[in-house]
Amino acid sequence: MRLELAWSDVDEVTAAAATRLAGRRLEVDLDGLRELLAADSRLATIRLELVHPGERCRIGRVFDVVAPRAKADGGEDFPGVLGAVARAGDGETLVLAGVAVVVTDQQTDNVGTLAVIDMAGPNAALSAFGRTHNLVISAWPSPGTERSDYLAAVRLAALRAAVHLARTARESKPDRVEVFELPPSPRVPPELAHVPRVAYVFQIHSHQRPTGLDEGILYGDPVRRMLPTIVHPNEVLDGAVLRGFMGRSVTTWATQNHPMIRALYAQHGRTLWFAGVVVTVAQATEPERVRSAFLTASLVAHTLGADGAVLTKIGGGAPHVDMAQAASQCEALGVKTTAIVEDMSTDGSAEGMLLFDFPGVDALVNVGSSQEPIILPAMDRVIGADDLAPKLLGETRATYGGLCGAIEQVGATRIMAEVR
Amino acid sequence: MVFGALRVVCYVNQFFGQLGGEDKARVGPQVVDGAVGAARAVQQALGDAGSVVATVICGDNYAAEHAERATAEMVELVAAARPDLLVAGPAFLAGRYGVACGALCAAVQAELKIPAVTGMHAENPGVELYRRRVYVVQTGAEATRMLAEAQRLVALGLKLARGKAVGAPAADGYFARGVTRNVVADAPAAERAVAMLLDKLAGRAFASEVPRPAFPPVAAPRLVKTLEGATIALVTDGGLVPRGNPDGIEALNATRYGAYSIEGKSSLDAAQYDNPHRGYDTTWVKEDPHRLVPVDVARELEQSGAIGKLHETVYSTVGVATTLAQSARMGREIAEKLREAGVDAVILTST
Repeated sequence: MRLELAWSDVDEVTAAAATRLAGRRLEVDLDGLRELLAADSRLATIRLELVHPGERCRIGRVFDVVAPRAKADGGEDFPGVLGAVARAGDGETLVLAGVAVVVTDQQTDNVGTLAVIDMAGPNAALSAFGRTHNLVISAWPSPGTERSDYLAAVRLAALRAAVHLARTARESKPDRVEVFELPPSPRVPPELAHVPRVAYVFQIHSHQRPTGLDEGILYGDPVRRMLPTIVHPNEVLDGAVLRGFMGRSVTTWATQNHPMIRALYAQHGRTLWFAGVVVTVAQATEPERVRSAFLTASLVAHTLGADGAVLTKIGGGAPHVDMAQAASQCEALGVKTTAIVEDMSTDGSAEGMLLFDFPGVDALVNVGSSQEPIILPAMDRVIGADDLAPKLLGETRATYGGLCGAIEQVGATRIMAEVR
Repeated sequence: MVFGALRVVCYVNQFFGQLGGEDKARVGPQVVDGAVGAARAVQQALGDAGSVVATVICGDNYAAEHAERATAEMVELVAAARPDLLVAGPAFLAGRYGVACGALCAAVQAELKIPAVTGMHAENPGVELYRRRVYVVQTGAEATRMLAEAQRLVALGLKLARGKAVGAPAADGYFARGVTRNVVADAPAAERAVAMLLDKLAGRAFASEVPRPAFPPVAAPRLVKTLEGATIALVTDGGLVPRGNPDGIEALNATRYGAYSIEGKSSLDAAQYDNPHRGYDTTWVKEDPHRLVPVDVARELEQSGAIGKLHETVYSTVGVATTLAQSARMGREIAEKLREAGVDAVILTST
């Protein structure tokens, strides 16, 4: 499988009469795009806004962030959710660098579960989305639209906008082309037979909440009864995996630019052999967790023949333990593991950082504490959260978990909790 | 926060205060103007940054045998000198001295709101007792490099007194206090994880970024009676509460638990219960509370004589993102109540 990401750098985004890429300037016809998105009857009102790095602006009520991507050859975009079900991960995909689509949630009253993005000030540097030009989509539900339908609609709007923007690069010559090519895992050339085989165990969803019927996660499937399975890493990079609706410290953007898959590709054929990706779901009950853990370990050890595995989680405490159980089963089969955890302590004490203690699960990297307080400085403008603007305009307190893009559980970020 | 030259008070024992050896260990707290004995190393380390305005000296036996009184008396002597910083010790491997240094630093910080720093060897019992509350700089076992060690105490003390950011334990040379703080790492987590795995695979040393939990495994005690004669209670951290959540048990990070009567109930009516738990999908428990708290089956066992009696109170809390301290407290309180009520065994359902 060979995926080519054709990157076009964008350093200016402006509203214009037509949507096109003029050199490094992306011009967006906001009215035309709004009309395109308004075709979804679940959405009553749609507002589109552009914000830029350095603007003293705060985006509130952030639900998810999507990277602008589109298949160059007319293939299916975000197959199973936006496009028809088709294999992702092969061929050429157009990518805009320096632009993101941010989608807000205007429905929930439980605003504590939503995040903000600062476009200026000290917090802008902590998030990838403080450094991108952002198209912000805010949409209000039509009367009677249920929660899950609303979230499916706003996510679809974000995916549609992301494809719409990336298609402007069809006529341009890309600034660079990144190639992701991984042969079937058993075919290791003899000169590389000595390097360790490493698998990635990617927990893509958690069953801590009821999963909506329209909550497409793997090729549009809501993974309600999913058992561990193997996918090609290119499928993850090319839109086959989307974040579910409860995206605590994880964005679709991070999945599209998956840092672990990139890190393993970067070392592939040098210090390790990238043996493949196992996708798993954090289960709700103990028998399901145990079953998932040993099936994961079997795929890693017996099918992929891996010597080592890295694991990441999604969601909160139960997924954290679920991942550790899978790591422990890998260790039991002789597969060395490292895992990325959040600092789970809610009172800042080191003794509360971990919720497990399994033999062999001793090599842990952490992405920091989402509970640690952080100051949001005063801004000149708030968008995406009219109702919260009085609070979000002035200096206010939040947590790292409430700053979108500061902590990405898949390992894209540099925040870490240090024991002091 | 202080920007100019600092007023520093030192605390030393009878030996480092040049009163004498063990023969003077019973001497009570006293204060001398300026720097005496080991405090002169602190003065030298301070240079122009500040001056040791007083040295508090106390015998080790007095400090150990009348610990509370000694600390209180020394806090008064420290307060009278109006310092910006207290430097206690360093105590090296001297146990009584180390414990007294830790106690005085903790008290001065808490009562006088004055920053304090001390120094000890890793095996000094004062480290384990006080490192969570006090900055304890790691020193050698003996006073062979007094000036160098005093310089490290003073360097950290100056940061504290001037409100400057303290570095990581390894960087600033103190024992980790067991608190976590978000910092920015050199590389993204994914890259660090791959590098750590390669080290682990190659058998090279690697440094996990998360310490193993300190809590010991809890073994289930043996039931000393037969089940037929035992009173059994149902306890859960799965969040079952009567509708309306009368105790206001938090949806996460709980600090409260409830005691709910099941007297006269052969089963639980789903309409009368609710579940605020935010850590798992509560759909199925709300549909049928017995999936979490099996009152129905327990009543059958009670009637058939398989168990002696079902305790008429169910204890419930929400176990998600709960701190270890709160969990331990709630568990202890519930266990005490169960014991007082003559309960022999518990079925604890978790989620």
